[in-house]
Amino acid sequence: MDTNELKELLRELRFSAELTDATAAKLVALVAVRHYLAGAVIFAEGAENPWVYLVVEGEVALEMCIPARGCTRILTLGAGDLLAWSSLLGNGRMTAGAHALTDVRLLAAPAKLLKDLCASDQHFAAEFYREVARALSNRLVATRLQLLDLYGDTSAAAMTALAH
Amino acid sequence: MISPRTAGAMPAAGPWLPQSAVLESVTPETPGVATYCLRLTSGDCLAKYSFDPGQFNMLYVPGYGEAAISLSGPTRRAAQGGADTELLVHTIREVGSVTGAIARMTVGQKLALRGPFGKPWPLAELTGVDVVLVAGGIGLAPLRPVIYEILSQRDRFGRCVLLVGARSPENLLYAPEYSAWRSAGVEIHTTVDRPAAFWKGNVGVVPLLIDRLRLRDAGRTAFLMCGPEVMMRFSAAGALARGIGRERIWLSLERHMQCAVGLCGHCQLGTELLCRDGPVFRFDRVEPLLQIHDL
Amino acid sequence: MESFLAHSDLQRLIDALAGRGYMVMGPTLQQEAIVYDRVTRIEDLPRGWTDDQQPGKYRLRRRDDEEFFGFVVGPHSWKRFLFPPLTTLLTSRQTEEGWEFETPPDDPPPLALLGVRACELAAIAVQDRVFMGGEYVDPTYAERRRKLFLVAVNCTQAASTCFCVSMNTGPRCRQGFDLALTELDDGFLVEIGSDAGKELLAALPSRAATAAELEEAEAHRQRARVQSRSIPSDEVHDLLLANLQHPRWSEVAERCLSCANCTLVCPTCFCSSVQEVSDLTGENFERRRQWDSCFNLDFSYFSGGHVRQQTRARYRQWLTHKLATWIDQFGTSGCVGCGRCITWCPVGIDLTEEVAAMREGAP
Repeated sequence: MDTNELKELLRELRFSAELTDATAAKLVALVAVRHYLAGAVIFAEGAENPWVYLVVEGEVALEMCIPARGCTRILTLGAGDLLAWSSLLGNGRMTAGAHALTDVRLLAAPAKLLKDLCASDQHFAAEFYREVARALSNRLVATRLQLLDLYGDTSAAAMTALAH
Repeated sequence: MISPRTAGAMPAAGPWLPQSAVLESVTPETPGVATYCLRLTSGDCLAKYSFDPGQFNMLYVPGYGEAAISLSGPTRRAAQGGADTELLVHTIREVGSVTGAIARMTVGQKLALRGPFGKPWPLAELTGVDVVLVAGGIGLAPLRPVIYEILSQRDRFGRCVLLVGARSPENLLYAPEYSAWRSAGVEIHTTVDRPAAFWKGNVGVVPLLIDRLRLRDAGRTAFLMCGPEVMMRFSAAGALARGIGRERIWLSLERHMQCAVGLCGHCQLGTELLCRDGPVFRFDRVEPLLQIHDL
Repeated sequence: MESFLAHSDLQRLIDALAGRGYMVMGPTLQQEAIVYDRVTRIEDLPRGWTDDQQPGKYRLRRRDDEEFFGFVVGPHSWKRFLFPPLTTLLTSRQTEEGWEFETPPDDPPPLALLGVRACELAAIAVQDRVFMGGEYVDPTYAERRRKLFLVAVNCTQAASTCFCVSMNTGPRCRQGFDLALTELDDGFLVEIGSDAGKELLAALPSRAATAAELEEAEAHRQRARVQSRSIPSDEVHDLLLANLQHPRWSEVAERCLSCANCTLVCPTCFCSSVQEVSDLTGENFERRRQWDSCFNLDFSYFSGGHVRQQTRARYRQWLTHKLATWIDQFGTSGCVGCGRCITWCPVGIDLTEEVAAMREGAP
């Protein structure tokens, strides 16, 4: 993909649609397109992964694993979603594992270069982290809704418990 | 007796007089949920009964009481392929004494109903529009008649998209019908809060599907929603964020219905009496009412 | 064209109504209050009595004159005769073929209400809109309303809890009656409000009223305009709906017992619940409607819980419905300024004071 095509892509993706041209151009300089086939592991839980991604196309599954319980899919991501934010904000270790559910296309940027750019360029940092904050706040609200268990449990066990 | 003035309601009945019906079939759907098909026993009532998608009946089991249940089957005009147009279809979640009594009934037993009541989905306003149906849990039941309606006049509408969420995969309502709907031109995206081991699909709440939905033209897209109120509130916010106008979003609200005719006060939510002003509301009308949980 | 009827001929009015088949209901003195009950003789009326009303207080006191109607309103309203506290709506009978449903035959006796105040006429008009003005008409109410004869009485004094002036519902009876009486020193000024009223008056020994009597009537009626309480009826709808999270709701909730007295005495409250009742055989059922109240916790039961769990939410529901959202639903206010809710609240909550408090706090 050439620079202009990448700029177009950033315009379309929810994460980057509202960045100024200047900021988008700086981001374009850092990203590359990556492809993953369905089933491929993008990164493992707990791994040090030095990349940050934007999902362009396809579905990515996030999973967390617990000893003896196994691995649980906690969220699926799609076009426009931010992936591997821990490489920017955390200690670089992934809090969940990610693998491609379908064939997936991602934009990948090296976390270190992004962080260096943010340190030296205030305007870029302000805009970029605004979008990161927005993406994570949406993710937080969605997680809260999941936690509320809005649908309730209609299984026989739960309904029997309710009756008593 | 003074009759209600709505078309398609029971002939010559006061608002309290139910009509006898027989339980013709029971189809288990998801845990705790089944679909009950009723046939009115009076030929006169049978001929005259008609409903619009989004309306509900008060089902009555003598000795137990009444429960407000949305109609979840095709209207007469939308019923296709030799379907029995006289069957009144209701998908019911067993939660209390009346719905429990219905769940214990066997085919051939009699009960009764009053209806139809309520304001239906605004299908007349959706000609040429891309229709996005947002359903959570049993909320898909009052939306299914819309799907049947759209499929019966497919060319009249634009895209038809169904975003449906449930607690876990076994709770996805009407899942066995999804592939037929897809073949007939409905785009379906499913998601669950809690996956099972075999689940290969989306995990996460329904508003996330709205964030990711590809839209052709926000100005010619309408959202019809039904599910837990909190889910609908965040789904509406998600639709607004995608550029859908407040006057193009509809929700089906729920409170305890008792008389169903706007006279007992139970279903009041602020300015609205849900049984007569709803249950389907345009979002701009009810937006402020949803902001206070104990209104 | 107003007429004059002597005090001594009031019995003839009652008899004329009874003679036309009406059961006359009017004010009577029972259990230390003035309540509405069957009246056959003028001696049944609380002549020479008056009521002292304050928030949470109601006392009867002897007047120093013999006015027939020298009091205002008590714990009863006329709604109990049009919207009965308990009604059987439906019977269900199990037969071999299935269920047989019947609406019980309803042939209530025609009632003549004697002594209806302006606020009460307004309340009946409000309930007419609720029960008969919408898509579905309540047959129980409609049948009783159809057979009703209304003899109104213009108030000649106001209780301290009255505020009909600010609600534009009184104290003058202007419409909705068949006959309206204004008590004078030795008789009644009678106004005709309908053909039925005209016909009845023609059977009574009345004569045209004199100019002096008209003046006396006006002077007596003016006394009722002296009211110490008020609600800003033009502003209250928007005021309440803009202040649904006002701290005053929590404050009043600390006093409110959620006892439902206010809804019971209110002449316009119409909330009800239906019960399924069985006989011993288990083959015969009835659906019975009875008065309920939004103050009852169970009234807002829904989906395994209660929507209005706190008193704060229930009080807010009652007041905002009565003064604000009623207008959105039915086109008029639900409140007629009769003040009963103030008098009969055991802790003396005064809705006029609550509205004023919110108005002060409003930006």
